Amino acid sequence: MIHYHPSIETLTDYAAGSLPLAHSLCVSTHVEHCQECQQQIRKLEMLGSHLFDQAGTHSRQLNHLKDRFFTQLEEHTLEENDIEKHAQEPNSNHWGDYNIPSSLRQFITKSYDDLTWLRLSPSFKIATLYNEEGGAQIALTRVKAGAHMPTHTHTGNEITLVLEGAFSDESGVYRQGDFINRDASHKHKPIVTKDAECICLTVLDAPIEFTGWFARLLNPIIRRYHPYSRA
Amino acid sequence: MERATILPAEEQRVTDMQSIAQHRDQAALARLFDHYVPRVRSFCLAAQPGANIMADDIAQEVMIRIWNKAHTYKPESASLNTWVFTLARNARIDYLRKNSRHQSDIDPEYLWRNVVDENADPFKDAQQKRDQERIQQGLDKLPSDQKQVLAKVYLEGKTHKEAAEELSLPLGTIKSRVRLALHKLTIYVKR
Repeated sequence: MIHYHPSIETLTDYAAGSLPLAHSLCVSTHVEHCQECQQQIRKLEMLGSHLFDQAGTHSRQLNHLKDRFFTQLEEHTLEENDIEKHAQEPNSNHWGDYNIPSSLRQFITKSYDDLTWLRLSPSFKIATLYNEEGGAQIALTRVKAGAHMPTHTHTGNEITLVLEGAFSDESGVYRQGDFINRDASHKHKPIVTKDAECICLTVLDAPIEFTGWFARLLNPIIRRYHPYSRA
Repeated sequence: MERATILPAEEQRVTDMQSIAQHRDQAALARLFDHYVPRVRSFCLAAQPGANIMADDIAQEVMIRIWNKAHTYKPESASLNTWVFTLARNARIDYLRKNSRHQSDIDPEYLWRNVVDENADPFKDAQQKRDQERIQQGLDKLPSDQKQVLAKVYLEGKTHKEAAEELSLPLGTIKSRVRLALHKLTIYVKR
């Protein structure tokens, strides 16, 4: 049962297409698990379609555009085989022990195990999925059952989405599909539940702010575990 | 059960979609072009005033998707307008991410397709139409300040925060206007 959802503002921005892509990635992953938000988004999209319909039409002559479109239509026509192939794509999502959410399959083509994990402590690993230029940092964190995550504060906004397992902090217990949005003021000390490891998707806004906590979080650990520093 | 009235023109467009899917009917595509291209262009120009080339490119992209994906459209899970709106929204996002100063490799194609409802059931279908009607009627009665914020978010592609900055209003005011509007349209029920 999912207890933590994106706010209605976030869902509205997502349905409207105005939410930044990195945040949309988190919402989309949440929505795969959450029927309630699926319903909400469906209605928000209906609203979008009415606004779209009423947006008015510019009186510009479109004959030229129409002629060009129909002349080139042949080139753009997909063969039936292509269409079939396209339609079948999303099915093979099961690799290894976990199902990879379809929203993440653009970054994770095989399994979580095949990603490049940076081990920050014996129980805590991180894999970067994508760094947006001038935007958000998208990563997975993987923490062993029962382990503490290092205490950290954020200097920017952080979204965490639980993909597998569960963790808790001062404010509650978070399970698969839960969407947690924390701003800079929040300081937390998460612990993973004892029954299973926990994999989360995290999106941090603005790389400079990210460097802030990232440096504080990692520096002592990296110094201890970085292979070159032992020589 | 109460059914929303579907205008004959909309019914014709759904029939056109079927003839495109089954017979590759170009005349049907031309009718959809006349209806949707001006709307898609306005939708794009709302976000980027004056960007006519972008508007033409996106409108063309939407029409290509209609042509190639007509067979995936299921009238029982969404109205055609909603389906085309989501195509236009995604095409606009895709265009902007490829052509903006900060290009992003996050492919929007992966982010919205799972929202499509795959289980058609008659009860849901009726529910869908009731929601549709309620939203349509409610929208006409909304106060202009609430409608203005919705237009900023949906048509101009602004986030709540950007809408607040642009209208020189506190973010809280924008949020409450949107919440009030969604509440009236019975889209948002506080959980």
